[in-house]
Amino acid sequence: MTQEAEPEVERITATAGDIAAINLESARQRSWNRFWRTPELPGVAELIVEQEQMTAQFIGDLAAFDRLETLANELIRAEPLSARAALIAAQVACSTHRFAQARESLVQAVACGAPADAAERLLLTLDQATGEKLNAVLATRRARAARPDRWDERLPLGALLADLGHFDEADRTYSQALRDYPDVSPFPLASLCFQLGVLWGEVVAQPQAELAARWYRTAIDYLPCYVKARVHLAEIYLDQGRTDDARGLLVPALQSGDPEVSWRLADIAASAGDADEAALHLALARTGFEALVAKHPRAFADHAVEFYLSSGSEPARALELARLNLSNRPTLRAYEQARCAALAAGEADTAANWSADACERWSGIAAFRGSPLAQHFAAADPTPLEHTHVRT
Amino acid sequence: MSDHIDGPRSIGDPSIDLTDLFAFISPDNPARTVFAADVFPSAGSSAVFSDAVNHAIVARRVTVAGLGDAAKFQAGAQEIRFDFRFDRLEAQPGSKAGARPVQHGTCTLPGGQTLRFVVNDERGAATPDGVFRVFAGLRSDPFLLAWLVGELKPFQNLLEHDNVLCFLVEFDTQRVLNPGQGSLFGVIAETTPVPKAGSLVGHQVTRFDWVGRTEQTNVRLNNARVKGDDLRDLWNQQTPFAIAPEFAPIFRKRLVDSLHEYDLRDGKEDWSAGQLAASANVFLDDFLLIDVARPTTDTSYLEIEKSTLNGRPHQSGGGRTVNTRDIDILLTWIVNRDREPLQGGATRATKLGLNTFPYLAPPNTELQTVAESVALNAPADKVWALIGPFGAMWHPLIAEIRLTGAGAGQLRTVESIDGKRIIERLDAADHARRQYRYSGVSGMGASNYTGTLEVAPNGEGSSVTWRVQYLSDGQPTIIIRTIVATLQKVGLESLKKRFG
Repeated sequence: MTQEAEPEVERITATAGDIAAINLESARQRSWNRFWRTPELPGVAELIVEQEQMTAQFIGDLAAFDRLETLANELIRAEPLSARAALIAAQVACSTHRFAQARESLVQAVACGAPADAAERLLLTLDQATGEKLNAVLATRRARAARPDRWDERLPLGALLADLGHFDEADRTYSQALRDYPDVSPFPLASLCFQLGVLWGEVVAQPQAELAARWYRTAIDYLPCYVKARVHLAEIYLDQGRTDDARGLLVPALQSGDPEVSWRLADIAASAGDADEAALHLALARTGFEALVAKHPRAFADHAVEFYLSSGSEPARALELARLNLSNRPTLRAYEQARCAALAAGEADTAANWSADACERWSGIAAFRGSPLAQHFAAADPTPLEHTHVRT
Repeated sequence: MSDHIDGPRSIGDPSIDLTDLFAFISPDNPARTVFAADVFPSAGSSAVFSDAVNHAIVARRVTVAGLGDAAKFQAGAQEIRFDFRFDRLEAQPGSKAGARPVQHGTCTLPGGQTLRFVVNDERGAATPDGVFRVFAGLRSDPFLLAWLVGELKPFQNLLEHDNVLCFLVEFDTQRVLNPGQGSLFGVIAETTPVPKAGSLVGHQVTRFDWVGRTEQTNVRLNNARVKGDDLRDLWNQQTPFAIAPEFAPIFRKRLVDSLHEYDLRDGKEDWSAGQLAASANVFLDDFLLIDVARPTTDTSYLEIEKSTLNGRPHQSGGGRTVNTRDIDILLTWIVNRDREPLQGGATRATKLGLNTFPYLAPPNTELQTVAESVALNAPADKVWALIGPFGAMWHPLIAEIRLTGAGAGQLRTVESIDGKRIIERLDAADHARRQYRYSGVSGMGASNYTGTLEVAPNGEGSSVTWRVQYLSDGQPTIIIRTIVATLQKVGLESLKKRFG
């Protein structure tokens, strides 16, 4: 799949990114104050979940996950038998990729009378994240996205289509969502542009870096504080030798504490021959990843695997974390990553076993045909494949 | 809430979400009228207006076109419109890095004249002839919601300490509204997208939100006890003063069903079918009515509608002042048709409104929360045995504790190792749940200072959570926060050393 034409990047009118970020932080803090005063206040805990997830996703403040766990624990203490406490516990567990726990809490929430729509929405997220019943998930996602006034359902539909290898339809879904956007918040717009960047830069079989870069730039234009978009764009610039541009993107994002920023700054310093600065940033990245993995192992295992397979240079640690990730969610990408980690750690048998498992489980989907795992089977060649960068 | 978070779409960007609309005769000058509207429910102290939204307050002259069961308010075609737009943020000239940026705005007045202002400047801005004066900025939320409406149960004010972003215009009634041609007006507020010249892409919606009378969406249209789809987004997309004819029957039926359900809440039927239908028709024409030739008071809200439905001329200016207890008034009317006053669990909002410009009270100070927790490799009971007694000496920064009294109300005087003295009162202790609450009496430089210490089982071990909330009172927030956070961190780390 290729897209030759320039993407439609005319900016839709949206609240300026700095205003939106200030207002998110303002509303988030206010919500917490309301929650601490009256935890059972209807809607407040639910709002905090949304605000903290946005803070993690867009501002790169990963302490949001700690705060979410506090929220879930406090709510369960305040309302141990309520459906909303169980549903929020499930949402929080899901956000830190504790999928089994999330399913348990969701079952409890449904038994206590949680709203059917919210329960179905979370179940879809869980099934999609863990690669369960994807055909059924796709059918339900399509139906939900077709409902009027459910614009927000199009993003997870696009992501699922991309995961399954339906790249054209994923692109159409995202592009249509951009055209139909009914709000002025820049967060969903930035997210859409970011997803389009990932689609064209990392998911399709033949990535198109320039196209991806354009979407990442648009995402940052909507939301200058969008750390993930900055990191992804910096990776492209780094590949293109534009180290100053990459550095310019990353330095303002350092304050977020996201270790991926330090990791890429280490790469930039290394490419410029500054070993001391590279070592400093690498140490910061390593400390950051280990701190995240210690607190939320399942949520950050796959990110840390990528680090340890490349600049982090610890294949054994990468394999350990890849194994954890695979056991938590046996998706095609998790298999791809785990296989790379096993090969890097010199465990060819383990890699072969995982390849076979992946083939049995995923060969039926379109995305498998473009996967390194499929190439491995087609070639029937035991030569280890190069590590393929897998963004999860 | 009045119109707070009134639909799925509003949850996307709170700064486009209209919460309330007010229209009243200025208590400071009866020759002037005030229109005010609020956006951003539960805005934090740093909240600012969206630069992508047009905020408008619109009035139309209204006539009474029917009385009793034929009650009808007919709005004219001519609009008197006030449009507020806000700029992007600017750094204050000469300010240090990290200083709060400033936001400017522009109000377009009827006739096209524009007036520039600075957000949060309490003096506002006025036209040279003094006819118009405008304000925009963060204020204490004047709305009082002291009910669990679904259960019709009085409750504490759910919006206590909340702030909103307010935009407001005060003007010379005679010169702007010319009441000689008719003094009854319908008023609405709306948020709409700012059009982008020459754009090929754009919003599918023409309006994000609008508000007329209190609680059209959250109470009347979205009554949780009436089955049916959530109509709030559909309602928000209607054109004020001109509900689409194809949707009017849907909204009318929902209003009738909802009002009937409210009528039966107290087990008595106070409304006949004809009266309910008439009331639904009046609420369907959703604009805030004000008669600028008559006085508006804190109790005159809905009087125009009620008198008209009762088949007689109205007596007051109606409108809605910032101190109106509108939910009490509304519930009393729709539940028992004013047979018996219903009163919520609080009688005033966090702060009473002002009698002078800008009428809404200054914003509430943000309640600060500092919370720390630690996971320990020891059973909860064992940890509680050490730290649970209110006078327990376990904190390394505390040199001495003296207790006065016993049980709830007990005082502890804490001497820190650096010589500070803090006095705290035990509010409640629940040893079964391994939790106690206390409040500060003196020594912390903060008001409303409360703390909670709690131990909970955590797998085979336990977790200790220590949470403190306060309002800054004399000292900068950051200083108190640092003191509290240090106390918490050092204390909890000492438990980690002790229990692992």
